Amino acid sequence: MFDLNVALAGLSDAFTLYNLLLVWFGVVLGQFVGAMPGTGPVMAMAIAIPFTFTLNPLPAIAFLIGVNKGGLVGGAIPAVLINTPGTPDAAATTLDGYPLTKKGKPEKATKMALYSSITGDAFSDVVLFTVSPLLAVVALKMGPLEIFALMVFAFSIISGLVGDSMAKGIASAALGLFCATVGLDPEASTPRFIFGIFELYDGLPLVSIALGMLAVAEILRRLSSMRGKITAAVELPRTQKKEDRRISWAEYWSCRYTMLRGSAIGTILGAIPGLDSSAAAFMSYATAKQTSKDPDSFGKGNIHGIAATEAANSSVSGANLIPLLTLGLPGNIAAALIISAFMIHGIQPGPLLFHEQGQLIYGLFGALMMANILNLITGQFGLRLWAKVIKAPESFIFSTALLLCIVGVYMATGGLTGVVIMFIFAIISYLMTAFGYSVIVFVIGFFLGERFELSLTQSLSVLDGNYALILDHPVALGLFALAIASAYWFGFRPMKKSKGKQQTAEETTS
Amino acid sequence: MKLRSIFAGIAAAFLLLAPVIGQAAEWSPKGSIVLQVGFGAGGSTDIMGRLVAARVEKETGWNMVVENKPGGGGVAMFSGLMRQKPDGLKLGLGVNVPILLNLALRGDKLPFKIDSFDYIGTILRGENAMVAKADAPFNNFKEFIAYAKKQGGVAVGFDAKPQQMIMAAVTKQSKAKFKMVTHKSGAEQIQSLLGGHVAVGCLAGAHIKYIESGDLKMIAVFNKSRHSYAPDTKTIIESGYPYYLDPYYYIAAPKGLPADVQATLAKAFDSAIHSDEVKKVLYNTLKAQPNNLGPEGTKKMLDDGVKDIKVLIDAGK
Repeated sequence: MFDLNVALAGLSDAFTLYNLLLVWFGVVLGQFVGAMPGTGPVMAMAIAIPFTFTLNPLPAIAFLIGVNKGGLVGGAIPAVLINTPGTPDAAATTLDGYPLTKKGKPEKATKMALYSSITGDAFSDVVLFTVSPLLAVVALKMGPLEIFALMVFAFSIISGLVGDSMAKGIASAALGLFCATVGLDPEASTPRFIFGIFELYDGLPLVSIALGMLAVAEILRRLSSMRGKITAAVELPRTQKKEDRRISWAEYWSCRYTMLRGSAIGTILGAIPGLDSSAAAFMSYATAKQTSKDPDSFGKGNIHGIAATEAANSSVSGANLIPLLTLGLPGNIAAALIISAFMIHGIQPGPLLFHEQGQLIYGLFGALMMANILNLITGQFGLRLWAKVIKAPESFIFSTALLLCIVGVYMATGGLTGVVIMFIFAIISYLMTAFGYSVIVFVIGFFLGERFELSLTQSLSVLDGNYALILDHPVALGLFALAIASAYWFGFRPMKKSKGKQQTAEETTS
Repeated sequence: MKLRSIFAGIAAAFLLLAPVIGQAAEWSPKGSIVLQVGFGAGGSTDIMGRLVAARVEKETGWNMVVENKPGGGGVAMFSGLMRQKPDGLKLGLGVNVPILLNLALRGDKLPFKIDSFDYIGTILRGENAMVAKADAPFNNFKEFIAYAKKQGGVAVGFDAKPQQMIMAAVTKQSKAKFKMVTHKSGAEQIQSLLGGHVAVGCLAGAHIKYIESGDLKMIAVFNKSRHSYAPDTKTIIESGYPYYLDPYYYIAAPKGLPADVQATLAKAFDSAIHSDEVKKVLYNTLKAQPNNLGPEGTKKMLDDGVKDIKVLIDAGK
């Protein structure tokens, strides 16, 4: 099956100066739009597609992949530096990235994000080109019931993030799930809670919620603690020690299991169409925290927290290409855009692609690798620049960030409704934090809510009242059992332990 | 400073003149034309809109801007569009089915009607079909109904409300039972079909490459007429169920567009839609040919569509 000639021909197609420059341009563009709150790689790719029509297939797709991968790295930068995720995927990266920045180590935090992102990405690319046909077959067996069980399992793992009060955690998750029900119901397409606003037909816009709850709320908190004097956005010690500005090999190596686990979670979830990278990031974070020897250090600037989230959300992008290349099924919007770039050029992704277009596939592999390396190099330079930015006065940084949030949400949602929703949720988030409810748990509930409800509806239709049919789905049963075990392991057990120790209440989120 | 402003003035004058020199007698836009797409960035409607707009820009030299106004399957975009000035600079691209459905189900709550717009044309007709895995024990709609009756209910995937309504009407007429399993997109339905989680799916284009590869097979056509890539597959109307689903991608402008503006825009879009570049992409992506009904044809299609969808709603009750 493996033909060295085809592989070499494909790789030599990819490694030309022209392709290199195109991928590099894509990566730079992706990192830039990713770092701007509100705009993201998806928007940049959608606008770029008509222009790629004039290019040959390989450069066109290589460019789009560059944008996509650049965006994943870019999104983490503002998440780490100013607690404002550039893209919803980076929401989980704020958990430990921002506390580390507050400790005066912004460069360490962003570099950890960059390295783990590249690691996760490389992992999933290698999986894509070695075992993807196998993984695709497994992913295909994931029907509605199995996906529903997987969602329940995901929730149970994430229960480790609720913090010290189970009641408040459940309340936050329930509120998030409730907000996810706004819009047309999946079964009968009846509009729910839209109050006559047609923009809400498709649900509350994800980008409004993510930016409102996380970014704008942070700006509100900053405002409320302003004392009328000019302070830098992040106070950095005048002389930073060299080891605080970089990630040493020992530090990177200490995160190897965290990154490997994150990459595996991201790759598996990415291979199943419809599950997105933020779910992977949160699951990876929760497992990293629970398996750590020192779970209390998470949320306070632990590099393992950054490594877990970034490795997971970046590995999704490569894994999304698994169902795309093997079955022709896009796993998320970015993959759907790449598939349309294939199709515009008359190439049908699907079972025969590896066979018929082997050379192109290996060319694509070359392009993925180039994008990965260029991401690392561009990131190295870009991060220094971005890290300088936050030394500016906070009044300047946060007003700019607010402006970017407004413009980004306006563009992404196509109007002011999305902006208004963003502000409403910023206030909700501010109040939730003030009263000790976890905002992150709310956001997870909201992100996963739509898919949760859809798979529940699908499962109920398939079962059609005959619940004994569940017994025909051993994978689903296994996942349900795992969910019960992990809810106890991650949710209840640590809580009992911490109650025993009489620890003071400390939210997992800042 | 002064010299610079003079140069700028001359440059601006040339820019304004450039399109006029080409076509002196016809209307030409004074400013950018904004094409609002009623769906989010990256969907098939968005890509279609950007492609056609880029081609119009290339052919006419007009400045075309594509904006996404998602929400309610185009309802949000059209609600905003109807309040714009009919100067030919604001256009909207939507799909008829969600608009017709909303007009039929909750028309009193919508700010617009079919008459609230002037129409420029259509880009193409979506190809709706029922498909099954290649090894399914039935080959056409009649056999499928018989199979469903024998099984006492089969799982049917769908991703749009009207497909569900057609199956409800079929249930009523045939007494066959279907378990309707909702999906987010055609791609997810294909995932369910290939994985064996549903027996058949109702698809609008995503299925075509799998028909060609032999993984899936055609069972029935939901459109009014048969599909070019599968000429032997009967429509459900031919199988005795008088319902159809003809999704058209159409372009509208606020009501009151002057006749010369409408004619110029219609001509420009028609030429772009039928250009080789657009044709090739439409064929590659959707296996569809451009299908422009023109200004009057689009209006008639929508007027008929409202009546027909009401019939469909009542048939499923």
